[in-house]
Amino acid sequence: MTELVTHLNGPGDSNGSPPPVVAPPFSVMIDRVGGEIYRYAWHLTRNQADADDLYQETLIKAFRAYDKLPADANHRAWMYRIASNTFISDKRKQKRDNPLTEMMEQTLTTGTPDHARGLDARDLLHEVEAFVEQLPPKQRVALVMRKYHGHDYALIAETLDCSEVAARANVHEGLRKLRQAFADRLEV
Amino acid sequence: MAMNFHTSDNPGFGTERTMTSNHSSSAAYREPSLLELASRPEVDPCDVACDAMPGYVLGDLGKLESAWVHEHAEHCGYCRAQLEAYQSLDSALDTCAAPVTTACSQAKPPSVAQALGLKEARFGFMESILGPLMIATTDTGVCAIDYLEHGDRDSSLRRLEERGILAQEQQQFVQPVIDQLNEYFARKRTKFFLPLDLHGVTPFTRSVLDVANQIGFGQVVTYGCVAIGIGQAGASRAVGNALGRNPVPIVVPCHRVIKSDGSMGWYTGGSHLKHRLLEIEGVRFSSPSVVNQQALEI
Repeated sequence: MTELVTHLNGPGDSNGSPPPVVAPPFSVMIDRVGGEIYRYAWHLTRNQADADDLYQETLIKAFRAYDKLPADANHRAWMYRIASNTFISDKRKQKRDNPLTEMMEQTLTTGTPDHARGLDARDLLHEVEAFVEQLPPKQRVALVMRKYHGHDYALIAETLDCSEVAARANVHEGLRKLRQAFADRLEV
Repeated sequence: MAMNFHTSDNPGFGTERTMTSNHSSSAAYREPSLLELASRPEVDPCDVACDAMPGYVLGDLGKLESAWVHEHAEHCGYCRAQLEAYQSLDSALDTCAAPVTTACSQAKPPSVAQALGLKEARFGFMESILGPLMIATTDTGVCAIDYLEHGDRDSSLRRLEERGILAQEQQQFVQPVIDQLNEYFARKRTKFFLPLDLHGVTPFTRSVLDVANQIGFGQVVTYGCVAIGIGQAGASRAVGNALGRNPVPIVVPCHRVIKSDGSMGWYTGGSHLKHRLLEIEGVRFSSPSVVNQQALEI
């Protein structure tokens, strides 16, 4: 019976050519990478409501475009890219819609060293956190991918659609800015 | 920073590296190592060390490069303070991330199907006398039965996604379907009592399947007969195509529709399976693949 089935289902099977690469179903792809993309959304947004929104928006965009993606594409990098671009564009939109908030936040994060010395470690952490949130979105994305997810620069470069050198520069520049902003308070 | 050099995980110094990115020049260039840079008379080694510190704390440097930064900082008070500041910053970032890491490991991601406005389904597998079958059910009913000898799991899942259904593997949910199918294959069941979910099936195909569903166990009718049944006499070819899209074969008995000359016609899992199903139902054949004309209810 099995032989018969194989024989009858055979058109194209017997010519010896390798089977074409077939993309996994969307659900299978999400089973593989969805968890880490969700964690990534959390590290970018730092709260559940925004992480859920970012993750859902990423899923919707990915699902709509999935059929057009080449079967052998790097789905993981593609998902990171959609999530990152969605995050970056949301940030830009927020900035456009509410420039005052940004100005206020910047004022908050750039306390003078004299004032800063009086603050305790908890305040410092909050300020570091707030400063990371105010980094240019590409630097923040690159820093989160490298620092919190331990990704290599090849994946970060693919995500940001830039060279590995530029990806590395984004991460390092983010750290340098933090280092400069908290110069006196971080030196032991 | 005045200097702009690149660090590498490659522990070797002075190795030849080629930029491979599309965004860069394709010309090979020799990237100066930290040591090379630091030994240049016009360069201050402290600048090189400080510039490399972000890479140092993030683990981007090769072993030798790391060792050089470490050693330089050991002997230079200014750079040591800089490095300690970067290390404090690095641990501050770890501390900032800790609550997020904990929270997101406990949080449940939104349902993919809900996020996409798709219907959720569960799928499972069974071995049958017709080969392995994949079965999917939603809360409404059976939405897919696929012959896996004919396709594979992924193609079945993709077909479901095209119908707006996203399925997760959960074998226990399909057990009631497996039970009824097993009874049918053992000739202990002539009718299925299973709700169906034809979500994503076009109205025309649905109307054809409705008519096919009325053909009883052991009966066979022609494509033309089903075309009359849907009120479109002469649409036999369209009926055949619609039956070919039957997502729940066996349960919706599209195998009971054959050509007017008694031959099998096309079947989703191969005409031999159609033949086998009709045999199970006791349909008589005048030759190995042609149904006895008397059996045809035209």
